[in-house]
Amino acid sequence: MKNGLNEREFLPRLLFKGRNLSKTYGGNTVLRNIDIDIYRGEIAGLVGENGAGKSTLLKIISGVEPPSTGEMEMNGSPYKCSSILDAHRRGVGMVFQEQSLTANLTVAQNIYRGRESRFSVLGLVRWGKMNAAAQKVMAAVDIRDIPPDRKVWNIPFAARQRVEIAKVLDIVSNATEDRSLILLDEPTTVLSREEMESLFREVRKMAGRGNGVIFVSHRLSEVLELTDRIYVFKDGEKTAVLKTSEASEDILYEKMVGRETTGEYYLSARQALPSDDVVLETEALSQWGVFIHVSFKLRRGEVLGICGVEGSGKEAVCSVLCGDESATGGTIRVNGEKRTFVSPKDALDAGILSVPRNRREDGILGMLSIRENITLSSLKKLASHGVVSLKKQNEEALSWVTRLGIKCSGIFQRISNLSGGNAQKAIFARVLGSDCPILVLDHPTRGVDVGSKGEIYSLIREITKRGVSVVLLGDTLDECIGLASRILVMKDGIVTGEFDCSHGRKPSQVEVVQKMM
Amino acid sequence: MERDHEKRAAIADQFKEKIRRETRGERLRVYMPIILLLSLSVLFAVYDSRFFSPANITNLLYQMTIPLILATGITFVLLTGCIDLSLEGVMGLAGSSIALLILNTKNSNDFGAIGVLVPIAGCALIGAVTGLIHTKLRIASFIVTFAMGSITAGLAVLTYRGVPAVIKVGWANDLSVGSFWGVPYLTWIALGIFAAGCVLLYCTAFGCAVYAIGDNELAAKASGTHIDAVKTAVFAICACTSGIAGFISCVRLKIGQAAMGSDQLFPAITALVIGGVSLSGGKGGMLQTFVGVLIYTELQNFLTIIGVDAYYKKAVQGVIIIIAVAMTVSRSRKTISK
Repeated sequence: MKNGLNEREFLPRLLFKGRNLSKTYGGNTVLRNIDIDIYRGEIAGLVGENGAGKSTLLKIISGVEPPSTGEMEMNGSPYKCSSILDAHRRGVGMVFQEQSLTANLTVAQNIYRGRESRFSVLGLVRWGKMNAAAQKVMAAVDIRDIPPDRKVWNIPFAARQRVEIAKVLDIVSNATEDRSLILLDEPTTVLSREEMESLFREVRKMAGRGNGVIFVSHRLSEVLELTDRIYVFKDGEKTAVLKTSEASEDILYEKMVGRETTGEYYLSARQALPSDDVVLETEALSQWGVFIHVSFKLRRGEVLGICGVEGSGKEAVCSVLCGDESATGGTIRVNGEKRTFVSPKDALDAGILSVPRNRREDGILGMLSIRENITLSSLKKLASHGVVSLKKQNEEALSWVTRLGIKCSGIFQRISNLSGGNAQKAIFARVLGSDCPILVLDHPTRGVDVGSKGEIYSLIREITKRGVSVVLLGDTLDECIGLASRILVMKDGIVTGEFDCSHGRKPSQVEVVQKMM
Repeated sequence: MERDHEKRAAIADQFKEKIRRETRGERLRVYMPIILLLSLSVLFAVYDSRFFSPANITNLLYQMTIPLILATGITFVLLTGCIDLSLEGVMGLAGSSIALLILNTKNSNDFGAIGVLVPIAGCALIGAVTGLIHTKLRIASFIVTFAMGSITAGLAVLTYRGVPAVIKVGWANDLSVGSFWGVPYLTWIALGIFAAGCVLLYCTAFGCAVYAIGDNELAAKASGTHIDAVKTAVFAICACTSGIAGFISCVRLKIGQAAMGSDQLFPAITALVIGGVSLSGGKGGMLQTFVGVLIYTELQNFLTIIGVDAYYKKAVQGVIIIIAVAMTVSRSRKTISK
């Protein structure tokens, strides 16, 4: 038992304090002046849309990344850490969303990974002792049905999550004499109702011993059920701190979505009127274990937005549409004709081209010039008898650079030297030059400055007017509603809502968020 | 709303089923090579009764000696997700220098056991250097080890400058023909090294670290593993076993020639892959290595018995490695690994 448990403990005492925490990546501020307090014995919730800054804050607290500015305190003394191990030594541990267990080691070996020396004699580890110790650690979080000497790949998925929690708990509670802080990042995503309830019991027990817990989840009902206080984030800023007893899903929705931009920003007056021709239609499209029964019709000149939190299945739907992954059920029809895509080439042949989200990794060919990048998808058009005409290629590239106002020193400049906005415009030039009638735009304005955003919106309006149809994953909910003529909302792999978004009839963000979370 | 609930439950079930299938696949991976070994043994014995004759069993034990030693060392490297292509060169260098340091035809050296141990220790040092270059300069292991293999093979020839040394010590002959309980001494040495490999992999924190790195390097780092140190150590271990294999080869051939290493890398890697040690790291272990070496040796031996041409044997080897990798590799990744 830890010492110092007396009546003082019943007064709320600060466990962790963060002041003015900010994080900037290459000029892009993702977290702005966050103040956060966690008291002993408290379970604090962190909610917000994608990109609101929750994960960044967790990374800073858990030692994965240092903050750009700001100070932190843990147990009353300054807290600065340069690694996860450092954080562990100060009693801060994080349970990652992605499981970090080694599949080919046993449960016990995983729990004591890096701490085997306490069981070693002359370098040889006494597994019996380690297993017995692991059994106790696991019993503390109610895992009794799994032998500690079983390999991790051989235990159920949900159990792996609990082993991970047991491990982190044991590390931090052994590392410091004082109270610890546990960060849980979306721990419930893969759990069933019963498993989740057992997790909640554990979390409450942890807090009952005076430790602090930060719980992040997209599922508001869970946050409301488990936490004492809720921090709400929006666009890297803290928009509210509420006592859970005074919060409700509706209040949280409102705080999460923040300010709404006027329709003019997204040029919604220029929104093309949907025609009756259906260019792309899916029926009961499914991917095994990821999403199920997604049906929609995309009309000529329409922008169809798909909204949802990360992991809702919207990314997978896009991957299937552009042939990157295959569907396991349902049909895709392009212009009424049934198609199956095995590779992106098949999708391209059917007239579907995608603009990937990670521009730097998946979108541009960084080593090549602007010219090559722009004309990549239209080389066939520029070639005669298989030989590409350099003259035509130059003309084509130059005309796009002028038309889209790409700021560069010339068409031979390496594309990797362009700013985010200009590189994105070059990619748009490539996409537009290919004359594909259907575009899948995955976060087209991510990491792009405000000015270029406007130009990209205008470009989208222009191409849809010419009859191009767009499937859009917006960077923000606001953008998705603003740009789209219709939106599909997804949650946990199913479509939970569909909204008409034509000019003047846009739904509010709150309405959409309610279907998302 | 009710429909949504059903759909959600369906997805959750599918996800669970997916994990179950993965687990099943993993089990298959563990038992497949053993089943393959048993069925091949039966098949070979039925096809040709000479296969399990006492003389041929001794043959098999001889033939598995060097592959087993090399495979034990390279298992560590493969488990971390790296590869070592230098073992042929290192083996040749060890064999050549040992021949020059013990009683031989080329010079008057006669250092005995020291003349054997120092070159083997030197090999371990070379491996450590390889590991340091790989980790500190961040050069892919296949490049570093390829270059190291070339360097060591060159050095091996340089040690004897054209005419290799023939060893004259009496114990070399005793060692290479003698046996204990029907198992040749040299095979006992191989089994001893294999046992040491098992202890190192399964009974130490180092072994856990090797698996952790192969499975997920970033996660391993986060749990406090000194990635660079462990990787350096695995290359040192592999080079050390290559050195020992060079010694065995030298004793057997009675001559310290750089060429003793040639065509030794492929059998070792083939054996590992057939046994179920993943080329991408983290999967497999010493049991898989042992089973793989047995399968490989039996197959080679069988092809010889039934009189298949040596060049066909090489081609068969290549086909086997492709089939074995194709059966075990995960094809879910979108890009083909380089």
